[in-house]
Amino acid sequence: MEGGRLLLDFKSVKLSLYKAINDCSSRGLTQSTKWLSELNFAIKNVKVKCTQPYKIAVAEDELDDYYLAKSFFDAKEYDRCAFYASKNSSNVLKFLHYYSRYLSLERKKIDSLTELFSGPDPNSAGDLQQLCKELRDLHIRGGMDAFCLYIFGVVLKRLDLLDEAMTVLAEAITAEPLNWAAWLELSMLVTDRSKARSLSLPNHWMKHFYLGRTYLDQQLHDKSLEIHYALQTAGFNGSTYILAQIAIAHHNKREVDEAIDTFTRLRKIDPYRLDNIDVLSNLYYVKEKKTELTSLAHAACEIDKYRVETCCVIGNYYSLRSDHQKAVLYFQRALRLNPQYLAAWTLMGHEYMEMKNTNAAIQSYRQAIEVNRRDYRAWYGLGQTYEILKMPYYCLYYYKQAQLLRSNDSRMLVALGETYEKLEKFQEALKCFYKARSVGDVEGSAILKLAKLFVRLMDTDQAATAFSEYVNENDNLAGENKSELSQAHLYLANFHMNKNEIELAYQHAQSTLNFEETKEEGKALLKAISQKRTVMDDLKQDMQVEDSDPNDTS
Amino acid sequence: MPGGSDDEMIINSDKSASIDSYRKLVRTHLDLHMYSSALFWADKVVTLTNGEPEDVFWLAQCMYHMKQYHRAAHLLQSRGLEKAHLVCTYLAAKCLLEAKQYTDALNLLSASDSTSSSVTIELTFAQPEESSHFSIKGLPISNVHSATLFLKGCILEALDNRSLASECYKQALKYDVYCYDAFEALVQHQMLTSGEEQDLLSSLPLSSQCKTKEEELLVKSVYESLLKKYQSVPPRSAVQVVQRLRNNSDLSVAQAERHYYACAYSECFSITTAVLERDPYHTSCLPIHIACLVELKKVNDLFSLAHELVDLWPHLAVSWFAVGCYYYLKGKTDPARRYLGKSTSINRLFGPAWLAYGHSFAIENEHDQAMAAYFKASQLMKGCHLPHLYLGLESGLTNNNKLAEKFFLQASAIAPMDPFVIHEKGVVAYQNNDYKAALKYFEDALVKVKEINEPLIADKWEPLFNNLGHTCRKLGMYDKALEYHREALVLSPLNASTLASIGFVFALISNFEEAVEYFHKALALRRDDTFSTTMLTNAMEALVSDAPSFKGAELDAECPSLPLRRRSETPNQNQTLDNSGMSSILMERAASPAANFGDMDMTDSFQDENNT
Repeated sequence: MEGGRLLLDFKSVKLSLYKAINDCSSRGLTQSTKWLSELNFAIKNVKVKCTQPYKIAVAEDELDDYYLAKSFFDAKEYDRCAFYASKNSSNVLKFLHYYSRYLSLERKKIDSLTELFSGPDPNSAGDLQQLCKELRDLHIRGGMDAFCLYIFGVVLKRLDLLDEAMTVLAEAITAEPLNWAAWLELSMLVTDRSKARSLSLPNHWMKHFYLGRTYLDQQLHDKSLEIHYALQTAGFNGSTYILAQIAIAHHNKREVDEAIDTFTRLRKIDPYRLDNIDVLSNLYYVKEKKTELTSLAHAACEIDKYRVETCCVIGNYYSLRSDHQKAVLYFQRALRLNPQYLAAWTLMGHEYMEMKNTNAAIQSYRQAIEVNRRDYRAWYGLGQTYEILKMPYYCLYYYKQAQLLRSNDSRMLVALGETYEKLEKFQEALKCFYKARSVGDVEGSAILKLAKLFVRLMDTDQAATAFSEYVNENDNLAGENKSELSQAHLYLANFHMNKNEIELAYQHAQSTLNFEETKEEGKALLKAISQKRTVMDDLKQDMQVEDSDPNDTS
Repeated sequence: MPGGSDDEMIINSDKSASIDSYRKLVRTHLDLHMYSSALFWADKVVTLTNGEPEDVFWLAQCMYHMKQYHRAAHLLQSRGLEKAHLVCTYLAAKCLLEAKQYTDALNLLSASDSTSSSVTIELTFAQPEESSHFSIKGLPISNVHSATLFLKGCILEALDNRSLASECYKQALKYDVYCYDAFEALVQHQMLTSGEEQDLLSSLPLSSQCKTKEEELLVKSVYESLLKKYQSVPPRSAVQVVQRLRNNSDLSVAQAERHYYACAYSECFSITTAVLERDPYHTSCLPIHIACLVELKKVNDLFSLAHELVDLWPHLAVSWFAVGCYYYLKGKTDPARRYLGKSTSINRLFGPAWLAYGHSFAIENEHDQAMAAYFKASQLMKGCHLPHLYLGLESGLTNNNKLAEKFFLQASAIAPMDPFVIHEKGVVAYQNNDYKAALKYFEDALVKVKEINEPLIADKWEPLFNNLGHTCRKLGMYDKALEYHREALVLSPLNASTLASIGFVFALISNFEEAVEYFHKALALRRDDTFSTTMLTNAMEALVSDAPSFKGAELDAECPSLPLRRRSETPNQNQTLDNSGMSSILMERAASPAANFGDMDMTDSFQDENNT
């Protein structure tokens, strides 16, 4: 992997993929099967001789039980499946038993959800706990194969026992490295790098996929891109999954055009793929590409109306049309389909913010964080809502969390600085604005904020320097923030006049005339300047020493 | 009372053979439960033989079977037989008991005591093969004595003289070790403490009464497995039972009860379900099964079971107990009390119903009434520590720690090894601010719990871990406190109060970031928790003043310097900014965050602990 080179023995990869696909599909792990098959399809050109047909790993005498249980499972009759698979010793049936019980609980939870924001149902938590207890018992007795370990990890995660969940999932992965679902769950749990390092994971080629995914979640986009490119060059270049990940990485890096390009390519290859399509809609939204977004929404709607991704696309579409009510409706629909769908929670929070419903916004963001603690947008959104609610300490905390996740995003830093300013912690505020400037000010507001802060601190020199930088940067752009610019000029004009730097003062005063707001003041200033000029000239004529006491001037 | 056997020879010589055949007829009809015919012919035999005592006895027997208790008693008494023959005394007293004439029955037995042999006082019962006693063939005299003693115990118990009653039962058991009636009365009615039970078992004259060594072993092991199931008996290494009896229903039920006391409800449930499948109306299994259904919150199953039982056995306490439990589980305390009350009025000795009756008050914080119910239970169940435990809990909840302590002492006198009792003693010590003692109690309890539940500790013990955490925190052992709270979290995940406790510990060790996180989690689960809300605000403020302003801030220089042009001139005073009107939003933080933290209260209790 080092140096971006990745060498794989594709024959063995293919063979293990065949086996894993069989394993996963016999256990009803549909998403894993899909992922693995997609990957397998990407290396279609590799030819291997399939020596023996893969059989379902069930004892001869339990085959009948298996077929019955699996048929119920496929028909989504989970309780029935759990009942028929309850007394068997085969690993596959054991897994089916626990998995169907878990799915049944999850489905019941969703079905009985009267309100989106209602907290966890105490009854279902009890059932889940019972399930967890049984699994733990089995685990202690050592009767678990890789897939049972996986479901145990999932249950632990649902019960918020994250550390234990991580070790169990790592165990599951070690036992069966090709279970993509386990990798995926693990990557959602690994919140920071120290945790990632403490896990002992097998050095399997699947690990690269996992690392790529995890880096993406940890906002380490370059590293993630590197891995995915390496995987592509190694031979998985047909994989739609990798392409989507690359697109998402670009999206996260705010390289909007590249991301859109990649997605367009992806949609050409696989026009009916809905996975991650909501990210594309976000991109269109940011770019305000209404027509593209509309056509995307229609296309998605045609493929499958009741997919979370589709609902998010439509939500974005309505949001762009400022129909926030409808947007919320669609995000809610997405969440009814899958309450664990992170993006919808965050987007719904944004919509509620637009509708000035801070309470609901807070709830949405919180849920988003519950689903994934690394969603910086939700943390940032929470900060904003608390800012509106005038609770600066809370606000500060949330901005900090957001900044922690995206340490080089100036927006968080500016927000932090503003909050510190409100709390009159000026030193901290200054630090934040400086830092924001040094990491590359996206919105260009840090320097202005800095200048204003200096004004407030009565540090006129620093303020003036900051203002002049701001003016230098923004003068040429026919920017929208005219009033800020005019104020800056006004301040500078006054400043220079007080310093008796008449020429500079004159320049800035002239600039103020360009703006409606400050025209009058500018004129007055110009008058004062010309007066001063004459006075100065008089003084010069009197050959007197320049008096630089600025306090006399009013 | 056995109905006699067909093949027994009736020896009264001078009667004609026809009388013998009538007697046989009576016996045959009795065996076939055709009591009217038996009664009719027995009456004829009595007239024919002119009141031969044995025939009168059989006539009375028939009447007893016909539930004509007064008539039978009168028959025996009018002929004065009850004084002459032990079996007749027994039958007469039994009839009087059934007729609820307790004092008469007791007088009868006491009178016979003075004539033949003193039953209660004299322990060495000389085998009285006295001439006055005719012997019913096939009825060993020791069995009759044992039965008489047992009957006396029943009467005394009905008269509420429970200590004498238990004395009688014990003796009955000594006369006949196979007298399960007496054993059951002692064990099921919770008359003995665990120590007394052990004494009784070891004092039984097993070796003299059992014929073979093997038999002795069997009786002993069967009885042993039926003894006190709570405290320190690990369910998995239960008493060795004879292999072939392992699947016997009674022994399975005993096993289930052990599981129940070890809080392993699902194991218990699977056993009781299996037993009830084999024998749907196994009486001693039903209360445990019902209790299990309550613990596992299987409302629907309990509903149908209660219906079934009431349809079948409206005269049994357990049926109405099931109904009461159903309503209790549904949270409808009014009907629950009504039906539990009915259950206790049918059988006043039915302990579970009394306890559940108490619980129905306890969950509504009606402490006085709950205590009254528990008191009643404690009188009825002398050998059970649970009523005392609940009494202690209730007094603790009414802030009467002294009284609570007393009750717990009583409870631990009965069951010194029970972790629940030790735990509650710890809670009292904690409330008395004696944290060292509390810690000791809790740790003790933990050791016991670990012995009982191997390898997994039951979820029910989550409060123990939390209390250990609280105590460690009070003693300043923060690391340990965290550890215990985390273990509690494993037993009961997504528990708001545990999460808040963890947050609190983190706040105390000034790890505000973690503290904030945990308070957040706690609030997500329970939104109106004032403790977490206040603590969160405090921790947030502390976090702001403690932590660096942003990630990476500590790496920067102390005071930032502009990378811009610098001017070396005095600052200008005339600012456009007006500083004076600014309101200070900066809130004063209290000197130390710990100072204004309210104390966490420990309201952990096992209120919904159900049942004996």
